[in-house]
Formats: sequence, C-alpha cells, structure tokens
Amino acid sequence: MLGFIIQRFIQAVGVMAVMSVIVFFGVYAIGNPIDIVIPPDATQEIREEAIRRLGLDRPLYEQYFTFVSNLMQGDLGRSFVYNMPVLELIGGRLPATLELVMISVISATVLGISLGIFAGYYPDSWVSKTIMAVSVLGFSVPSFWVGLILILFFAVHLGWLPAGGRGETVMIWGVAWSFPTLNGLSHIALPAINLALFKLAMMIRLARAGTREIMLTDTIKFARAAGLSEATILRRHLLKLISIPIITVFGLELGSTLAFAVVTETIFSWPGVGKLIIDSISVLDRPVMVAYLILVAFLFVTINFVIDLIFALIDPRVRQGASA
Amino acid sequence: MYHQKFLAPLALALGLAAAGAVSAQTLTMGVRGGPESMDPHFSALGSHAEAAKHIFDTLVWSGTDLQIEPGLATSWTAIDDDTWEFKLREGVKFHDGSDFDAEDVKFSIERIPVVTGPTTTAIYVRRVKSVDIIDPYTIHINTDGQAATLPNDFIRLFIVSSDAAANYSTLETAAAGFNSGAATIGTGPYKYVSWQPNSDLVLTRNDDYWRGKGAWETVIRKEIPNDSSRLAALKAGQVDVINYVSSVDYLALQKDADIDAVVGDSVYIMNLQLDQRVDTPLVRANDGSKLAENPFRDLKVRQAIDHAIDRETMVEIVLEGLGRPANQMMPVGFFGSNADIPMPEYDPAKARALLADAGYPDGFQVDLYCTSDRLPGDGAICQGLGQMLTQAGITTNVNAISRTVYFPAQARLEYSMFMNGWGTLTGEASYTLSSLAHSNNPDIKLGAFNRIEYKNDEVDTLLQSGATMMDEAARRATYEDAMAKIMADKAYISLVQLQTVWGTKAGSLKFEPRFDEDTLAFFITPAS
Amino acid sequence: MSSDPSRLSLFWAEYRENKIAVLALAVVVAMILLAVFAALISPQDPYDLAKLSLRDSRRPPGFVGTGGYTHLLGTDPQGRDLLSAILYGLRISIQIGLAAGFVSLTIGTTLGILAAYVGGRVETLIMRLVDLQLSFPAILLALVIVAMLGQGKAQLIGALVAAQYAYFARTAYGAAKAERGKDYIEAALATPLSARLVLWRHMLPNCTPPLIVVATVQIANSISLEATLSFLGLGLPVTEPSLGMLISNGFAYMMSGRYWISVYPGIALIILIVAINIVGDQIRDQFNPRLRK
Repeated sequence: MLGFIIQRFIQAVGVMAVMSVIVFFGVYAIGNPIDIVIPPDATQEIREEAIRRLGLDRPLYEQYFTFVSNLMQGDLGRSFVYNMPVLELIGGRLPATLELVMISVISATVLGISLGIFAGYYPDSWVSKTIMAVSVLGFSVPSFWVGLILILFFAVHLGWLPAGGRGETVMIWGVAWSFPTLNGLSHIALPAINLALFKLAMMIRLARAGTREIMLTDTIKFARAAGLSEATILRRHLLKLISIPIITVFGLELGSTLAFAVVTETIFSWPGVGKLIIDSISVLDRPVMVAYLILVAFLFVTINFVIDLIFALIDPRVRQGASA
Repeated sequence: MYHQKFLAPLALALGLAAAGAVSAQTLTMGVRGGPESMDPHFSALGSHAEAAKHIFDTLVWSGTDLQIEPGLATSWTAIDDDTWEFKLREGVKFHDGSDFDAEDVKFSIERIPVVTGPTTTAIYVRRVKSVDIIDPYTIHINTDGQAATLPNDFIRLFIVSSDAAANYSTLETAAAGFNSGAATIGTGPYKYVSWQPNSDLVLTRNDDYWRGKGAWETVIRKEIPNDSSRLAALKAGQVDVINYVSSVDYLALQKDADIDAVVGDSVYIMNLQLDQRVDTPLVRANDGSKLAENPFRDLKVRQAIDHAIDRETMVEIVLEGLGRPANQMMPVGFFGSNADIPMPEYDPAKARALLADAGYPDGFQVDLYCTSDRLPGDGAICQGLGQMLTQAGITTNVNAISRTVYFPAQARLEYSMFMNGWGTLTGEASYTLSSLAHSNNPDIKLGAFNRIEYKNDEVDTLLQSGATMMDEAARRATYEDAMAKIMADKAYISLVQLQTVWGTKAGSLKFEPRFDEDTLAFFITPAS
Repeated sequence: MSSDPSRLSLFWAEYRENKIAVLALAVVVAMILLAVFAALISPQDPYDLAKLSLRDSRRPPGFVGTGGYTHLLGTDPQGRDLLSAILYGLRISIQIGLAAGFVSLTIGTTLGILAAYVGGRVETLIMRLVDLQLSFPAILLALVIVAMLGQGKAQLIGALVAAQYAYFARTAYGAAKAERGKDYIEAALATPLSARLVLWRHMLPNCTPPLIVVATVQIANSISLEATLSFLGLGLPVTEPSLGMLISNGFAYMMSGRYWISVYPGIALIILIVAINIVGDQIRDQFNPRLRK
C-alpha cells in the first residue's frame, strides 16, 4: 500500500511540474500584456518603463525560473493590475466561489443519486422517464442560457430573487460567508441552481446506468435468492457498488464545477474567482492567469490522487494491479 | 429595512451607534469600477482617482465643469518661463492630526515616479524638473521649459503624508502600506476604514475637513461592475446611488417613479479618424482592386463622409437619447473649444454628389475598426456608422473589436478608418489637440496619438505657440482658431458626445453631475 | 469500407424504432438545410448594411419595418431582422461545430491509433498528455487559448480543437488497442502487406463506431462551447454573430423587457444541441452491445 501511495505521489508531482511549464509558457509566450496594461495614450518612455518594471524584458526561461523559485516559497507573484500578491487577491475571492460550488455540487449529488437510483430501479415508470427526459435537457442546454432564463423568470418577471451579486455576509473564522444569512441565501439560490443543473443531469445518468447494470448482476440475484429484503439489497450492495464511479465523478466534477463557475459567476456577477479570471484574461494580467491555472491544476492533481487512494481502499484489486 | 440589516455587523465593528441611526447617516454608493490600490499614486485610471479623492486632496481642484480651482494650493503664478510658484493652504491637518505643509507636496511629487503602476500617474508630474521649498507654505516648481498647463496637470496630484508614507514608498512596500491603512493618511473629507479589491471601500467622516463637515458619517463605495446588477441593487435599496446607468436601462428608468435619473454630459466624444497617408492599407475599389490613391486624402471624400452621418439618429436610436451630436473634439464650453463651428448637416444626396465629384461615383470599399468594449455604445455606434456610410455609397465592413486588440493595432497604424472615444480629461484644448491634431513629432512630444498622419502646418504652428503662451486670453484664441481649422479639414470627424446617468432613489439625494463622471460622496447631500 | 448495405439498413431499422430519435434526426437535418440555404430563405440579408435601417432597431416581434415586410421575431439593436440573423447565425454555429469536430476527429484519431499501433515511448507520451488534458475542464482550456490567440473564426476553431481532440484520441486509442491485441492483426502484420494497409483496412474501421458516437456528442459540445465563449465576449467578433453572440448581444436588453433579442436565438441554439444529443444517444445505445436486449 505504501509503495502504491509513493508511486502515485511521484506521478502527481511530475504532472504538476509539467503543468507549470505548459501553463507558464502558454500564457507568457503569446500575447503582449503591455499594450493592455498601459493606457492607449502612453508614450514610448512610459511603455519601456512599464516593460522593465513588469520584468517583461528578461528572457522567458529566466522569468520561468524566477516564477518557480518564488512558487517554491509559496509566492505566486504579483498582479500587474493591482500590484498585490496574487494569492491574496485570489484568497479574498475564494470563499465566494467555494460556497457557491459546494452548495451546487452537494445538492446536485444528493438529489442526482436519489433520482438516478430511482430511475434505474424502476426503469419503466413514467416518473423515471420524466426524470431522464429532464436530465437530457440539463445535459445539453448550455449553462449560460439556463442562467439567462433563470434571471428572466425569477428576477425580472416574478421579482422573487435578486438578479445578481452576493448578499449579506457574516464573518466566520475571519472569512466572509454569505450562506448563513437569509439575504445571502436568496442571492446564492439562482447561481447555485444554474451551476448545479449540469451536474445533476450527469449524476442522474450515472446513478441510473450503474443501478441498471448492477441490478442485473449475479450478486443481486443471489442476494434476492437468499431472501434479503430489497431495502437491504439497496443499502448493502447497490450503494456500495455504484459508489466507485460516483466518487470518481464527484471528485472530477468538483474541479470542473469550479471551472464552470466562470460562466455562472459572469452571468450573476458573483464576486468569485471565476469572475476574477475572466477579468484578468481581458486585461492579460498574466500572474493572475498563471496562478489561477496552476491552482486549478493542483486541485485536479490532488483530487485525482485522493480518488486513487480511496479506490485502493475500497477495491484491493486496484492497488494490486498497480504494484504488479 | 434591508439597509440596516446589512450595516448592523459593520456598525458593531466600527463601534458606531445603534443600527437605526446609521442608515440616515450612511451613504452607500454602487459604482462600476474601483481603485486598483489604496495608494493614490498607483494608477491614473478614472475610477482609481475617484476613490482616492475621498481620502486625499489634490493640489489643484477640478470643479464640476472641470474648471480649475484652489485645492490644497490656494493660488499659483508663473514667476518666470520655467518656474511656477504655489501658495499652500495653511491650517490643514492630516487624518492622523499632523500638519500639512510643503514637505508633503515635495514628497508626493517625488514619490510618484517610483511607486506608479503600469497605468502611470507620472504623466501628472512629467513637466516637473525639481521642487524647491521656499517656506512651509510656498513652493517653487521648476519645469522643463514653459509649462503653461502645469496647474491642469496637478488636478490629480494627490498629497500623501510624508511621515505616514515614508516607509511605504517603494514599489514593493507601497501596496502593503496603503492597503493596510498604515499609510492611507490624507487630508480629504473621509478617513480610510477598510478595502477589498473589487469589493467594498469603507470610509468614515473626517470631522476636521477644511471644506467643512461632510453630510455622511459613513460612506461605503461598493463595486458592482455589471450594469444590470448595479441597477438591481439600487431598486432593492442595497445602495443609495449608482453611476453609469446603461442607456438600455435609462429608458425604463424614466418611467419608474421610484428612481430618479440624473443625466450629465461626459467628456468623451466619439471621433471618426481617416488615414491621411499616401498609401493606406484597408481601402479598396468595389472589385477589390487597389485604388490609385488614398481617397481619404481628398477633402471632398471627407466632406462626403461627414454628410453621410446622421448624428441625430445616432443619438436618438443607438444611444437611446443619451448623448448629443458633436461637431468638434471637445465639449463646447471647454477652454479652447469653438462655438462658431457649424453642426454638419445630414445629407446623403450631397454625400453621393461629393463622392462622384471626387471621382468615385460608385464609391469604394473600406474596413472600419472600432472598440466595442470601452465606452457605452461604442460598438453600436460603429455598426450604425457602417450602415450610414454603406447607404451613401462607401461599402463599409464593420469590425467592432475588443480594445485589447484595437489600440495596439491602431498604434501600429494598421487601420485606414477607425473610431474611438477621446475624453478631454483636463477640460482644456491643449490636452486633446496637441496629442491628436499636431503632426507626430516625438522630439517636441507632440502628436503622439495622431494615428492618421494628419498634418496641417498652420495647425502645427498654432499648437506650438499655444503651448508656451502664458497669457490666458491669447492662448484661448489660439486654440479656438486651431480647433476651427482642424474640424474644417475633416480628417477627424466628431460624431457624438456621450452622456452619463446616475440613479438615486426618488427624491432622496441632491448632487450635481460632474463632467469627469466622478461620484464623490462629499458633494452628495440628503435632499431634505 | 464497412458500408455494407445490409448492415446500414439493419442499423436504420433499429434506429427507426425510437420515434423521438427519428424526430431529433429530422430536426438536425432540417436545421442544417436551413443553415445551408439561409441566404435563400431569410427575408433579409442581415449582413448587407445597405438594407438595414437603424430606425427599425429593437422592434418587437410582428413589427412591419421600413423594408416593407413583417419582422416575425422582431429586430436586434442594429435593425436586423432577427429571424434572418438567427438563420445566418445558425450557419456560423454549425460551420464552427462541424469544422472543430472534424479537425479534432482527424487529429485525435491519428494520435490515438498511432499510440496504439506504435506502442512504447510514443504510446506513453501521447496517452499521458491526453489523460492529463482530459482531467482538465475543456471550457477553461478553450478560454485560455482563445484569450491568447485573439478573436476570429480560425482562432476559435483552434481553441475548440485543442480542447476536444483528446476525447477522440482516448476513444480511438481504446478501440485500436483492443484490435491490436487480436490475432488477425498480428497475422496480417506478419504477411507482406504494408503496415499502412493493415492500419487502414483493419484498425480504422473497427474504431469507427465509437468514434461516430464521440463525434456526434463533440459537435454538439463544440457548438455549445462556442456559444459560451461568444457569450463571455471571447468568441467571434460582434459583426459576424453566431447564435451565442446574438444571445450575448441581447442580454443587456433583457432587464428592460426586450426579451426577444436574446430568447429566440437561444431557443434555436437549444433545439439544435438537444436534437444532436438525442441522435448521439440513440447511436450510442445501438452500438453498445451491453444495452442490447
């Protein structure tokens, strides 16, 4: 087991190293932030001064090594625009994104798995068919469009919920959260629904497909033959068996939800990290772009690593296969 | 009331009185953009300066109509060709109780080039060679040659405390010192409480302000970049006033009895610019072949374009009423603008006749480039322009693109016909005309933004002499003359002047819109 | 290669059983036809500036404009007939979806089969890269690439391809790897037949069914991704509006009640994507032996 962990860990570190190179050179090689950072009416002197100040006159590999050595000390650089440590900038926005993503993913998972198991368990019921039809919609309709319709209907037409922004916050452990307040919840409702729909559809489909396959397996047949109640079968066998693919997807989806939050945050003016990255892209604030991508990559690698470990715990074959 | 609920935790944090009392004395402003740092010298962006004006004072004050007035300096005179004397206001105190004097001015001027960010504030002190302190309330500014408009440059010269900021005046330390509040000590109407980038700036009143006590005990400047969200926040009572109501929402607001809309003229004017080079890249004959010469060098073609543009429709339809037709590159009334320039008339038939006269009876093809994300309506004006020119016979391919692509390409002189807004931020002509209309000459730092190689020798002479004229009346006449000549040449065709809208809850607030579009809490008062 | 008529008609017979899938297919075909013949069907050429009038702009559905005809779906801020703009927008969206899908298919399949066929270091390198990319959200990748390349059709397609080729590579690799291990390929390789012929005749056809499924889904995804990028302001220039751009242009007007500018293009987009996905679903089910009854 330890060997397996070490092996996976080394792989993860390798992936991070590769990602840092790709991200850094990808972002720094193309585009010239200087034209965007300085005003259009700047003179040549101002321009050269800004280039020197931002370190853009040094060779790319040198900039990369500076970046990596700073990274090792936990310094992700300073924003061109704000002259602030990027980590501080992202850190200030992170709670908003985290609460949005967590609420979306958890509600989508709980609801999605329940509906999916139902649809898989009673595949021919009209309820199941409705669930599946709705899931196809949730799966195909672009999320920005759903966001627009949510705003049009609930905010403009009915006027029940705010159209955007984050609500009242309270400080918990020195961080501002909006979900504990009623006003905060009313602001978070629409973006969370928007972000959750796609995941919900995916969870339904996954849980249904898993349930259908497992219900036909011998394990379940034997369990039934052995006279176990359906509830016990559901609890003891089904949930355990479908948990593996669902844990994987939950983990991966947590990451991709974070990425998709970019779209939702833009539509609902949610002051999170996604909005920050869109703004940074439009002004080519490279340090923020790089830091964000590296952090997302780090998150993904960590999630993959954790999923591997959980797998190894649940299913011994995985670790045997890997160390063989 | 939502208001109180929102402020309750804050009031506790500030140790203020009961929540009920807070709401009447608190002004919450929903604004589109914000400062990039708490260091006033970091950025020259308008929204940055707007936020800084709450905490810091400038040496020279720029009034509602951008006329220059005394600020921390009470008077100024040019004592010889390259020296200005500024008399400073006595008895002004910083937020920490220390006295303001000449040392702070010198310190601030010298600090700017060191700590400025990429959107440089060095432009405000670019003419300054050195600063001499004569006595605690008199300074001499030595300039590189005659600098007639130095007081105009100083409208954004923020004065920080030389004691409080002493240890926070390198690029590395400035942000930390100011963002934490340690160095954020000004003489302005409000004191710094807290700030989050892209979020809230919280301020509390400076009771000893030299202009008098402000109306609000607490001011919260809330950044809400999305136009619709900002308006929604106003409707929901989360904020008391918002800036930059979009033209789209303005129409609906006029019917809304709960909201007052305050309309103000903006300094931004949209100018169509026609390349004057012999060889211009993006103009073709209708069959795609190269034309014998650049048609924009022919005055008749330029006049034809001017007549093809229906400015009234631009304002009424495209901007939904939020603008005025423009006939020169500056709002009329600014120093150096010319009231005698006629409004060009919309006459497509005349445009076609002029084109035929110039030898293009069937017109030609051109690629038009504009920004689509810089100023309200820029993309839409561009597309409207395309329609109007095409209907007059000049087949126009419209390219309304992101400013991040547009400005670099414009600087590389890649376009033949292009449009963008220009704001006369100093309120006087030399700022605009010497940058745009003088032929480009880096040696004398004139014509830096003349991206069409426009050159009129008479205009060049006028602008050069205007820049050194210390006599105000003579200078005004010179710029007025230059303006008339430039607009008659039609290489720059001014289209519309934009307007800005603020929204407040009906009958709740009183304030005068400013030309520079700033929303300043000190000048906003309760209606009753 | 495998266009054996009996197989195809068998496939069709099975497909026909699902009425919804047939309807979806009809919708897809109809929309492609509408896009192809947009110039003939549209009441107005939305790109001909000489025919537009600003006086007609932002009019509600049913407005009779200066052109003399009724704007069934209203007009946009430039006075364009919205129905015509949607038809032309459909064309751009489908073009981009197909182009990105096809290029990704070609690049991805080539890489996938190459990895499976050559093996060794090449295999490890390619598949590591592909897996790495698959774990990263496509939208982020496309976002960053488009931000770096700038606006324009080619750049957008490039970004979509970069974000999507990995799905094809993974699929082709899986299928080809399974074939590679089979005896008949080993046998064919042992004969004097050229390696290329083996690849072409045997490995590629066996990868085709799963690739068709992935291609269908990815074309829908490309269209959706393009719309999303355009909505975020990172897609095509505003003057050549795809459906996503039309929606984005109308977004600002939604709050003031002029919903049609955004809503109708959106409905067209959704019908297209949902229909493609339903067709893809049905094809997948038919190819998946485990779900066969």
